[in-house]
Amino acid sequence: MPFWKVPGILSSMENTPKRPNATEASTALSEAEASRSMLVERITTPSWFFTSIGAAIACQIASSAAGVGATSPATLAALVAGIVALAAVAGVQLARFRRLNGVWVGGFLSRVVLGTGSLASASYAVASVAAILAAFDARWWLVAIWSTIGGAAYALSGRHWLRVYRAEPARHAQAESVVWLALMTVTALASLALLLIYR
Amino acid sequence: MADLDEHVVAPARLKLLVTLTAVSEVEFSTVRDSLEVSDSVLSKHLTALESVGYVKRRKGVHRGRRTTWISLTPRGRKALNAHIAALRALIDGTT
Repeated sequence: MPFWKVPGILSSMENTPKRPNATEASTALSEAEASRSMLVERITTPSWFFTSIGAAIACQIASSAAGVGATSPATLAALVAGIVALAAVAGVQLARFRRLNGVWVGGFLSRVVLGTGSLASASYAVASVAAILAAFDARWWLVAIWSTIGGAAYALSGRHWLRVYRAEPARHAQAESVVWLALMTVTALASLALLLIYR
Repeated sequence: MADLDEHVVAPARLKLLVTLTAVSEVEFSTVRDSLEVSDSVLSKHLTALESVGYVKRRKGVHRGRRTTWISLTPRGRKALNAHIAALRALIDGTT
């Protein structure tokens, strides 16, 4: 870079703050929001992201229903395998998201992957309960249907969150508090444990 | 400049902080490209904002190479919100 360009660039760095007038303030705010939009528009999900998360959720619902509804070492092993597979898929896809975009978005982790969004959590709960009830009656075709519905709704909820986030990134970027996420995880695991104990 | 934050008045710093509100953490080159500034310009602003506790930097890895990850601190978020409120008041002509 030619030396004579440096002062111009440095001046554009605005080392000496001065009080802006209304027009300058408006321009500065607009440009700042445009920069943020530019970053947000570049954020994208890795290939097969929602499909893999939805499929992993469907498998986890089905395996949990089988583990709770049918008593055998094989179904219990399937229950554990479903949880491990979901954790593995989520971990790999989050790492790919971070690598692809060069950003970490807490709201994406909690709402899209952990399913704390209202549609994801409600559909997951309904599909899980329905699949478990179907498993008690050994109606495995119904378990498969409810698991698929649960996985699809979870993935759709994630897609919806991404659209909402792009419209208002500052409002949706942050995750819920760690305490809240820990509380939800403990509640989910405790519910599963109670179902296994009192089935 | 009673209401405006002197550390955020520079439009490049305002851009940087507003951009950081969209993420929990961003890698150095990603935010540099988004702001369309050079490495040195971004580093200079980051150093200034870090010195007043508005941003946080940590060393990390991205795509197999060592880099810096940047995030907005709660103090920086609070200062930015106050600054934006002051700017909006200025635009509306209430200050």
